[in-house]
Amino acid sequence: MNIFLKLYLNFNYTVSMILFLIGLYTIISKSNLIKKLIGLNIMETSVFLFFISIGAVKGGRAPILEGTASQVQYVNPLPQALILTGIVVAVSTTALALSLIIKIYEHCGTIEAEKLKEMEEGR
Amino acid sequence: MILRLDIVLLVFLILIALVVVKTKDLLAAALVFSGYSLVMCIVWQQLGAPDIAMTEAAIGAGVTTVLFIIAISKTFRREE
Amino acid sequence: MKNKIFNQAIIITGLLAFALLSLSAVAEMPRFGDPNNPPNLHVVDRYLEKGEEEAGCKNVVTDIILNYRGYDTMGEVTVIFTALCAALAILKRENFYTSFSLLDTSPNKTSIVVRTIIALMFPLIFLFGLYVILHGEDTPGGGFQGGTVIAASLILFILVFGFRYTLNKLSPKFREFFESMAPLSFFLVGSLSLIIGLEFLSYMLPIFSEGYRLEVARLLLSFIEIGIGVGGAAIFTSLFFSMQREEK
Repeated sequence: MNIFLKLYLNFNYTVSMILFLIGLYTIISKSNLIKKLIGLNIMETSVFLFFISIGAVKGGRAPILEGTASQVQYVNPLPQALILTGIVVAVSTTALALSLIIKIYEHCGTIEAEKLKEMEEGR
Repeated sequence: MILRLDIVLLVFLILIALVVVKTKDLLAAALVFSGYSLVMCIVWQQLGAPDIAMTEAAIGAGVTTVLFIIAISKTFRREE
Repeated sequence: MKNKIFNQAIIITGLLAFALLSLSAVAEMPRFGDPNNPPNLHVVDRYLEKGEEEAGCKNVVTDIILNYRGYDTMGEVTVIFTALCAALAILKRENFYTSFSLLDTSPNKTSIVVRTIIALMFPLIFLFGLYVILHGEDTPGGGFQGGTVIAASLILFILVFGFRYTLNKLSPKFREFFESMAPLSFFLVGSLSLIIGLEFLSYMLPIFSEGYRLEVARLLLSFIEIGIGVGGAAIFTSLFFSMQREEK
């Protein structure tokens, strides 16, 4: 029972791992290309959740400086700066993959991975 | 037992992800994925990251959903 | 059929093993929300104490992404520009004379209620996006956040009013100028300090006297933010135009 209490105290990390596994299952076992892309997006957002939860502080405020000299507790701003870059990379990967999917449909007539494999083996 | 907001939001996130994976209608998957992005934006705000919340709201609900719907309208709507 | 069930069983077994390993690793991590976590100890105190006098912004995240870790942001804008180039190499850019969309040729236009409301709301959303870009130094916001708000408002306008109507106003030649402004503004500001004699992308230029150096640093930061914002908006709008078009 001790491990369940520990998993409950670190609940953000647990949810991030579960979402990662849901995304990984979608990529491996579904055969439609758009479904695989949605699974990739779920995996990426789970990693962002993990990273920002590392820097959270209980009772902390958003990292905007107030100008007073009082000792107020701020949330760690460094993981947030790294994740902004990550979100931009995720959206550009999604846009490029969607344009590739449109071209594959125009060229081959299907977007199921198993049918594409059969077409390539039969050629 | 007091219901804490962040635990409720995170459990909701897992349920939405399961619905997105399970459904066979691709248009429904794209729209529920936009709802996933909205719940993620509220989670960022609860963790004290307003910049990330703004970015995720504008990108997840504004750009990614529209691009998915365009790609679905040019290909199939149902899986298999 | 039996092959398929066998495949599913192997996948689920593998994922359960992975889940067991990762969940037991997660349980041993340091407590969530502890102020004495290892990531909170080493450099963050210096960023929070000296951020305003060394970089000039009250928003510490904007400080970090444009001044302390500026090279990473330069790489990020290069990545999104490269993604636009690759997506335009695959689907060609839309032609000004022969492209149309399915809404233009269908007999039903968008309803008058939607058109009136979007015509009233579009300038306000655009103005909000400009506000988020320009106030990125003292309030939450910044360059890329405002850029995506502007892109969302432009996409909304195009969806409601039609493809050909907007293509006359935002022609491809007009957008080509703004798409490259994001990496270009970084390189211009970096080369400025390189020409004077310091290292690349250092904002404190010794030409100006002591009291004005912080103001000049804030001005250069604003220039880069406007570049990133406008560049991001133009890139998303161009992607939208290319993906939606149909050819005669």
